[in-house]
Amino acid sequence: MIEVQDLWFRYPESDYVLKGISLEVPRQSYVAILGENGAGKTTLVKHFNGLLKPTRGKVLVCGLDTREHSVASLARRVGLVFQNPDHQLFANTVYEEVAFALKNFGFPEEEVKRRVEAILAELELDRYRDRSPFLLSMGERKRVALASVLCYEPDVLVLDEPTTGQDHKQKEKLAELLQRLVDKGKTVVVVTHDVEFVADHIPISIILSRGQIRGQGKTLELLSNEDLLAETFLFPPQLTAILWKLSKLGLHPAPSVEEVVEAMLQARRQSP
Amino acid sequence: MVSALPPAVIFEQVSYKYPRSEEYSLKKVNLRIEQGEFAVITGPSGCGKSTLCKCINGLIPHSYGGTFKGKVIVHGKCTLEHPVYELAQLVGLVFQDPESQLFCSTVEKEIAFGLENLGLPREEILARVEEALDLLGIAHLRYRAPYELSGGEQQKVAIASCIAMRPKVLVLDEPTANLDPLSAKSVLDVVYALNKKLGVTVILVEHRLEMISHLASKLVVMYRGEVLTQGPPRKVLFSWKILEIGVGLPKPLLIALMLAEKGFPIEAPPLLPEELVELVAGGEER
Amino acid sequence: MRVFEGLYYVKRNTAMHRLDPRAKLVYVLCITILSTAVFHTALPMIMLFISVIPLAVEGRVLRRLLSTLRGGAMLAAFIFIFNFIGRLWNIGFVSPSSPEFLEALMPSLAMALRFLTLIATFSIFFLTTSPDDFAQALVQMRLPYDYALTFTMAMRFIPTLAREAQIVADAQKSRGLELEKGGFMQRIRNYIPILVPLIVSSFRRAETIADAMESRAFGASKKRSFLYMLRFKLSDTLFSAICIAITAAIIWLRLSSFLPP
Repeated sequence: MIEVQDLWFRYPESDYVLKGISLEVPRQSYVAILGENGAGKTTLVKHFNGLLKPTRGKVLVCGLDTREHSVASLARRVGLVFQNPDHQLFANTVYEEVAFALKNFGFPEEEVKRRVEAILAELELDRYRDRSPFLLSMGERKRVALASVLCYEPDVLVLDEPTTGQDHKQKEKLAELLQRLVDKGKTVVVVTHDVEFVADHIPISIILSRGQIRGQGKTLELLSNEDLLAETFLFPPQLTAILWKLSKLGLHPAPSVEEVVEAMLQARRQSP
Repeated sequence: MVSALPPAVIFEQVSYKYPRSEEYSLKKVNLRIEQGEFAVITGPSGCGKSTLCKCINGLIPHSYGGTFKGKVIVHGKCTLEHPVYELAQLVGLVFQDPESQLFCSTVEKEIAFGLENLGLPREEILARVEEALDLLGIAHLRYRAPYELSGGEQQKVAIASCIAMRPKVLVLDEPTANLDPLSAKSVLDVVYALNKKLGVTVILVEHRLEMISHLASKLVVMYRGEVLTQGPPRKVLFSWKILEIGVGLPKPLLIALMLAEKGFPIEAPPLLPEELVELVAGGEER
Repeated sequence: MRVFEGLYYVKRNTAMHRLDPRAKLVYVLCITILSTAVFHTALPMIMLFISVIPLAVEGRVLRRLLSTLRGGAMLAAFIFIFNFIGRLWNIGFVSPSSPEFLEALMPSLAMALRFLTLIATFSIFFLTTSPDDFAQALVQMRLPYDYALTFTMAMRFIPTLAREAQIVADAQKSRGLELEKGGFMQRIRNYIPILVPLIVSSFRRAETIADAMESRAFGASKKRSFLYMLRFKLSDTLFSAICIAITAAIIWLRLSSFLPP
């Protein structure tokens, strides 16, 4: 779906922000891009819809070279949801806000209406349909921003730090929604430094640090690699930390809360 | 030692409604935070945490208006009777957005701003600026512009500019929400050190309890404008109810709760992974 | 936008930079008086314009000054053309060889040159004076602190705003906004989705700033103190005195008709 080949990027008159990135996001996959602030995560995903063009190397989206296509045509396939909803909300009503992209992409009036209504219902925003997006809470504004991209059903959905400032329940709801999209056959990429969220929900990860890829593969394997985490300024998720400590006692449960509970109960039964 | 002193912050039946708002953001809040305490306030989004923070230095109601009932008393001063600039010398307030709260052209001037407002002599300002820079470990950033710093550095500058005014209470409203884990930890570590070293009372709002609950001496859980519970973090968090209102429990606690349900005796609910594992290590580990 | 580059402080350590802003203001004032009230013809304007150059060289901002002037040149050309056509209109279009033609040409040229001279002078001031020092100078000249603070804050948030504008543009482009699409009016309308979020988030920011200022005792004392005070040094006195002396001399020479108008 997205193919990045030896991507180097720098802004004029500054150092390289991305240094030789190669990766592949296959169709229908669910991938996290993890890394500290300033690692180059946002810069990388801005290449996915052509907002930025490689200084060197190549980015292919659905087989299209991003250098040869406009942002508008690439954005139709790759939906990018920015971190701060206040950087995009502008319309008088939630309805218009969500319809914005659909109108830009030239959907017919009837279709616009149908899709907006559908996505508002799905994200539990329908009761705010005619309200100003500016008067909603932060969590709701984030959902409106998400809806305004989801509505045109891009093949790939990229979310930049979707969990920032979100409480536990909001994160859980977001996770459910993303899983539904993946189940429907969409490709979802989440850019984040929220290790806990990734460990709990996203199967595949790419770890980025200082403009380079430091690891990619199964999330739980990557996040239990102590050296890798230390080098990339990340902390292990709590579950991993617990597993490490348990393994020193000779307990090796599978990485899930239930398994840990089970293993601990057993250990207690066995000890005098 | 702590209990002999009068409390740092008291909320007495505080209710507050923003102007043009229909619903109360705080509802009959009662709260008592002792001097030198490290209090963490948590709760789902929109529960009134930020509103509570702004009450402590009098921004609410002095600058915001609205309907204010009840009393907030900070070190014996009722916030209704003292202007914000006076309370500001008692209470430092650090905001969530790292960049917007820094409005000067250099870090040094940022830290000096409050002291200049107080009309302190130049030498005193200089000495206090340097002291604050050292306390936060940001002396190397002294002549830098705030906009070119990282989020973590910006928060430290914001904390320094409060600490320079030598407040007795430091209030931080989700200071790490926009930071990555490492920067977040380094900001929280610095706050913890200030609490221990200077004895300044800390009131900190945070969602991610796994990062902070073990540092807290008191945890306050808010829900829909009310204080749901307050007390020692282990005691407060060891409850399914907390999870039900949408607060994310640290995994060790969650596991301990599940263990307890299955008859595993838990005397001290664990906040950290090592504490959880000790439950089965049974002393043989050490 | 080039014109504004000339207003942006360039950090250097030169004599020009070290001068007290108030001394530099004396200089700006002198040139302004000379170029607007004292002289009206092209030749003295050229002389005044040239007199600015050495200061730019001393302050090591010549290249920035030139780029400012290049930006200002367009406007100067406009001023020249409008003036010239206006004058020709009044006297009736005459042949280029007639003296009346020259009489219309020279004052128009002088107008354009006056404009460039003023731009160059102000530009040198701003290129070599940090916004902080400028604000401090204003405060020490008894301007209320609030105004000075507003100015420094505006300068402080320019880079932030620029960065934010970029993010907003990126976010809207990602939702299919095409800025270059459509006719003239449509293109202007295309900018609404960029301007609105910028304005709204600036308001939000302003609220935080106000809260942050109050939380740091803004308005506590009538007598605010300052970490840095500007000191009018000997060199500043000397520089100002020289500026005033030369200006006075020129005015005297002009009044005694030793110099052309």
